[in-house]
Amino acid sequence: MSTNHNDVLLDVQDLKVHFKLHGGLFGQKQTGTVKAVDGVSFQVRRGETLGLVGESGCGKSTTGLGVLRMVEPTAGKVTLDGIDITALNSAALRKARRRMQMVYQDPFGALDPRMRVLDIIGEPLLIHKMFKDKKDYKAQVHDLLERVGLNPNMADRYPHQFSGGQRQRIGIARALAARPELIICDEPVSALDVSIQAQVINLLEDIQEEFGLTYLFIAHDLAVVRHICDRIMVMYLGHVVEVTDRDALYENPQHPYTQALMSAIPIPDPEEEAKRGFDRSLQGEVPSPLNPPSGCPFHPRCRFAHDACKTQKPRLMETDTGHQVACHLYDPAASDINAGDVMEDNLVRAG
Amino acid sequence: MLAEETHRHDHAEPETQQEVLLRVSGLKTQFRQDGRTVTAVDGVSFDVRRGETLAIVGESGSGKSVTAMSILRLIPSPPGEIVDGEVLFDGKDMLGLSDEEIRKMRGSEIAMIFQEPMTSMNPVLTIGRQLSEPIQVHRGGDRKSLLAKCVDLLRKVRIPDPENRVKAYPHQLSGGMRQRAMIAMGLGCDPRLIIADEPTTALDVTVQAQILELLKDLTRERGTSMILITHDLGVVARYADRINVMYAGRIVEQGSSGDIFKHPKHPYTLGLMSSIPRLDQPSGTRLTPITGQPPDLSNLPSGCPFHPRCRFAEDRCRAERPPLTQVSDQHWKACWIDVNKP
Ligand SMILES: Nc1ncnc2c1ncn2[C@@H]1O[C@H](COP(=O)(O)OP(=O)(O)OP(=O)(O)O)[C@@H](O)[C@H]1O
Ligand SMILES: Nc1ncnc2c1ncn2[C@@H]1O[C@H](COP(=O)(O)OP(=O)(O)OP(=O)(O)O)[C@@H](O)[C@H]1O
Ligand SMILES: [Mg+2]
Ligand SMILES: [Mg+2]
Repeated sequence: MSTNHNDVLLDVQDLKVHFKLHGGLFGQKQTGTVKAVDGVSFQVRRGETLGLVGESGCGKSTTGLGVLRMVEPTAGKVTLDGIDITALNSAALRKARRRMQMVYQDPFGALDPRMRVLDIIGEPLLIHKMFKDKKDYKAQVHDLLERVGLNPNMADRYPHQFSGGQRQRIGIARALAARPELIICDEPVSALDVSIQAQVINLLEDIQEEFGLTYLFIAHDLAVVRHICDRIMVMYLGHVVEVTDRDALYENPQHPYTQALMSAIPIPDPEEEAKRGFDRSLQGEVPSPLNPPSGCPFHPRCRFAHDACKTQKPRLMETDTGHQVACHLYDPAASDINAGDVMEDNLVRAG
Repeated sequence: MLAEETHRHDHAEPETQQEVLLRVSGLKTQFRQDGRTVTAVDGVSFDVRRGETLAIVGESGSGKSVTAMSILRLIPSPPGEIVDGEVLFDGKDMLGLSDEEIRKMRGSEIAMIFQEPMTSMNPVLTIGRQLSEPIQVHRGGDRKSLLAKCVDLLRKVRIPDPENRVKAYPHQLSGGMRQRAMIAMGLGCDPRLIIADEPTTALDVTVQAQILELLKDLTRERGTSMILITHDLGVVARYADRINVMYAGRIVEQGSSGDIFKHPKHPYTLGLMSSIPRLDQPSGTRLTPITGQPPDLSNLPSGCPFHPRCRFAEDRCRAERPPLTQVSDQHWKACWIDVNKP
């Protein structure tokens, strides 16, 4: 997959998805707001795979759902190939959805257990009236089954008759049915055994090449993300903290959170592990999005935090290494310590 | 290289014998359901030495949890039954103990940490109550000293503000904190063996790392032994001294972590290793999945149970089951094939 297409397919500007929580006997009182996604901007170029990583609850799925308007954004603008998705009425939205599909994490919950595989995969064809007659409908579904490595004579079976990996293939075949341009994959392999994961990852790579697909690939497994993505976006508590090319992110993470995340991933090689050690500086857990910290959302866990971090939210800005980072350390205007300290510290730890 | 000797792993080395804390020999556990018999653990033998961490890896359904539960005699019966084998803990025959005696062992000598802390904690009791009860039963003590001990334990597992958290209920803690409280419960009586079954699978990467570091520190500081069940080979590389690779209820490869990662000998282990993307490899490398599906345990393939998925399989593999055979000083495999042969 090359990334020298500068053609932007998906453009997301300042997306916010806030959930209001209700309490009281009849749910009439608003008791709080979860700012699940709080001002997220990014672009996905045609044909590329943008990874979206971050810890549980940081807003990855909600970002994906907000883009598709499967949950209504509170604010922000989503543009697909020049069409303002956020401004569409429901009929126009339904039409536009043909071009963007989703593959879900849970291969057990995502498929309707009462439907035959034929109709699960064929449903998008039905919704978008994409077949001539019954024969054509069946032929298309059979093609799709074959394409994802399943036997077409399995079309009359029900989801419970398949293994986890096979169900995930069915979900992928369904997503492919309407010939979309963008597929949002939400943890497509997390629920699968390692040996089956590889089969599904290879399949996603193959169909991307064959159909020229663009992926927004959500996952928390950073090794999987590195394997499949061209660029990667790191989220923390509803915010984007870093976006950059795959190799730059893994070789030279800039945001203190990204750095901690990288050191937390074990490598399957005991010798490397013995050399590497573990960055113990990251303490505590992800705070609740119901009661997020002031200023930079990461500051309570950050060992570089200084006064500005407690009060001012850092903006996402380009550093001289080409990363986009939201951190005061890299913002000359806001900082009383600077990125040199982080670099030096990393050198000490690596050395 | 050493000539491969064909004999069963029979614990012959005298110098390691004295260090052995747990010895499992020929363990076989079955489940009977709807007229079918599932052999979930099929003749498994291994040792856990003092202070070491032994990892058990393998696909879902390969018998990792059933092995662990058999050691503690936590197999629900019916439908399950330990039908054969011996489990010696510090020389004591676990399978021969009375129910009362085994219950005592569970709380004090051997601790089990499960994957999902919410189901193994009592939701209506405070963390402090749940922590202190086993200590009181096994070790005794008055209220004040028990409370102090609980606060101390919570501090050890790095739960912030332990004086207040002892009064909290499980649902008031985050997932990571609950898992740490579970570990604190396990450690209350200074166990000599910790069995951790996917202890961090439900947790975030950074929290996972904190918890595993904590367990590793404990094994180092107190010489506690650990059986770590996980599907994450990275975790194994970072924390395990030795590894059991399980397939269809059997150990197919066994050895030191260094040997197994550097020179995997069983095609299944090779398959596991080449099917995961790795941070230490070029990012474009194509993955090589293990083809096919895990076998039906009530109707295993003939010969080597892995042969239908094995790219090296020969006639002998389809006919004869390979025994666990020593390949070098610290390394055993159950396979007829030499995977290193060009
Ligand atoms: N419908 C909803 N109502 C209220 N809160 C919600 C809703 N959906 C999500 N949230 C909250 O929004 C935050 C972000 O959730 P989201 O599912 O996007 O996280 P995620 O990054 O996908 O996490 P995971 O890795 O666990 O899937 C969480 O705190 C979650 O509890
Ligand atoms: N209570 C039970 N009743 C019937 N069969 C059982 C029971 N518990 C386990 N089994 C069977 O025993 C086999 C081994 O299960 P086990 O839980 O040990 O797998 P595992 O290796 O721990 O897998 P996972 O990685 O999914 O946890 C499985 O085929 C399972 O279906
Ligand atoms: Mg999610
Ligand atoms: Mg298990």
